[in-house]
Amino acid sequence: MKVVIISNNPMVRESYRGRIDVCFVDGSYRDVLIRTRDACHQGHRLLSHPLSGSVKPNETLYKSIMISKEAARADRESVELMEKAIFTADKFGPVRRNWQERERKDFQLVDLTLIDSAVESAENDLGYF
Amino acid sequence: MKLELGYVKVTDVRLGTESKFEDGVVTVDVEAVRKMILENEKIADVQLDVAKPGESTRITPVKDVIQPRVKVEGPGGVFPGVISKVDTVGSGKTYALEGMGVVTAGKIVGFQEGIIDMSGPGADYTPFSRLINLVLVITPIEGLAQHEYEQAVRMAGLKTATYIGELARNAVPYRSVVYETPSITEGIKLYPDLPRVGYVMMLQSQGLLHDTYVYGVDAKKTLSTFIYPTELMDGAIISGNCVSACDKNTTYHHLNNPVVEDLFAQHGKTLNFVGVIITNENVYLADKQRSSDWSAKMCEFFGLDGAVISQEGFGNPDTDLIMNCKKIEGKGVKTVIITDEYAGQDGKSQSLADSDPAADACVTGGNANEVITLPPMDKVIGTLDYVTRIAGGNENSLQPDGSIVAELQVITGATNEVGFGCLSAR
Repeated sequence: MKVVIISNNPMVRESYRGRIDVCFVDGSYRDVLIRTRDACHQGHRLLSHPLSGSVKPNETLYKSIMISKEAARADRESVELMEKAIFTADKFGPVRRNWQERERKDFQLVDLTLIDSAVESAENDLGYF
Repeated sequence: MKLELGYVKVTDVRLGTESKFEDGVVTVDVEAVRKMILENEKIADVQLDVAKPGESTRITPVKDVIQPRVKVEGPGGVFPGVISKVDTVGSGKTYALEGMGVVTAGKIVGFQEGIIDMSGPGADYTPFSRLINLVLVITPIEGLAQHEYEQAVRMAGLKTATYIGELARNAVPYRSVVYETPSITEGIKLYPDLPRVGYVMMLQSQGLLHDTYVYGVDAKKTLSTFIYPTELMDGAIISGNCVSACDKNTTYHHLNNPVVEDLFAQHGKTLNFVGVIITNENVYLADKQRSSDWSAKMCEFFGLDGAVISQEGFGNPDTDLIMNCKKIEGKGVKTVIITDEYAGQDGKSQSLADSDPAADACVTGGNANEVITLPPMDKVIGTLDYVTRIAGGNENSLQPDGSIVAELQVITGATNEVGFGCLSAR
């Protein structure tokens, strides 16, 4: 696979173990955005939308984003999209609720299915698979 | 393609022991509907209830709202590829049961979503408070996966709406409207001097709880394509989207799309309504590029002078919206975008997650972050257990007196992005 998933979602890490490299971030939704933005500055290309899902950044704890494994010259569009996503997430502010385990699992599942949907598309894209 | 849409007025919905439609009154055989829904072994129980305008009733968590319709003449049946066979719909004659909705409610995930208040300030924000709603509260069997539960709820709603629609097959509509879309060449001959306008309709297609189906096909696996506007009126597009109550398009919106209706109203007068281009909102960026390239290509091929673009949802779709807008404008086609806003509780922040100078004509459905207070209601259909956990709610949402303080985004249809809403600057 020529892709990497940056994620703070344990369900994504488990689901893709042995299939796709998951760069696990032990941190917040925002931390995943920052890590991804930094990777884009280093020349990795953004492959899935950072604000995937209609669950808002101040509600869900989890985020998974797909980037290219290879790094080339920094891609302006990738960096810009990440900057806009961070700006939008900051507008909503941090998650203010203490989610129970059941809800955490549901958020993890929704995030997993969103990244699954990107992986499914990427699998037909020989440039990355 | 030509469709006659007959509107049959529903004045009351009653629960009873036989199903019939008589003098505007829909009577529902509760046991027959329960039996039909419980045929799906994934559903453990279903409760039926009726909520009427003006009542002190709160319905939550709402998944979908569907208008019952029945196809009385012409090929195919309602909800093709899902309930009816996959034959092309959109021609002949269809009856719509005006004034009622079938509402599905169920807790699919531990958060989310959707309130319909039948009276009070909340009712002003949702068009569905004006309907007599037959509500299905659906409980799944133990351990059912969320996506299977969503599918079961979706099918139960569509089956019930079709069942109710059939009751009105022999009714007499109180008004009828004929909608007709000529072929490209006929249109040019008929209206040589009128601007050619198309509607680019974006469909939510991001994954579990974020899906839309076109003739039964998951929209995320489709390319941008053409559809006759009257096909929408027969249920060619249905909602499988449970997320973001305020700005999702329910099946009711797809059936009664006001952009389609208003473009038809001006068709042959001030413009030539060429048709609808549907496109998706996937999460994979190459899909976005492909789909928006394709929308722009079709606008160019149809020789459009203008296009109305509507989106569904927030964040990820903002990028598709701007890509569509920019590329279609790039083809020399003027665009107007319809969206809603997440401009912060004070309304002062930037509204969208993406922007471009090409998007210089914008219609908004309202600010979903606006804080509202909903007083307690005497009756709750569904459960309030999740109110603190729906989008736009928080741990302090449920007040000791039973009122709810939350953002507008908790209300089903409040900031709808096809403009089927109640908010206005007028």
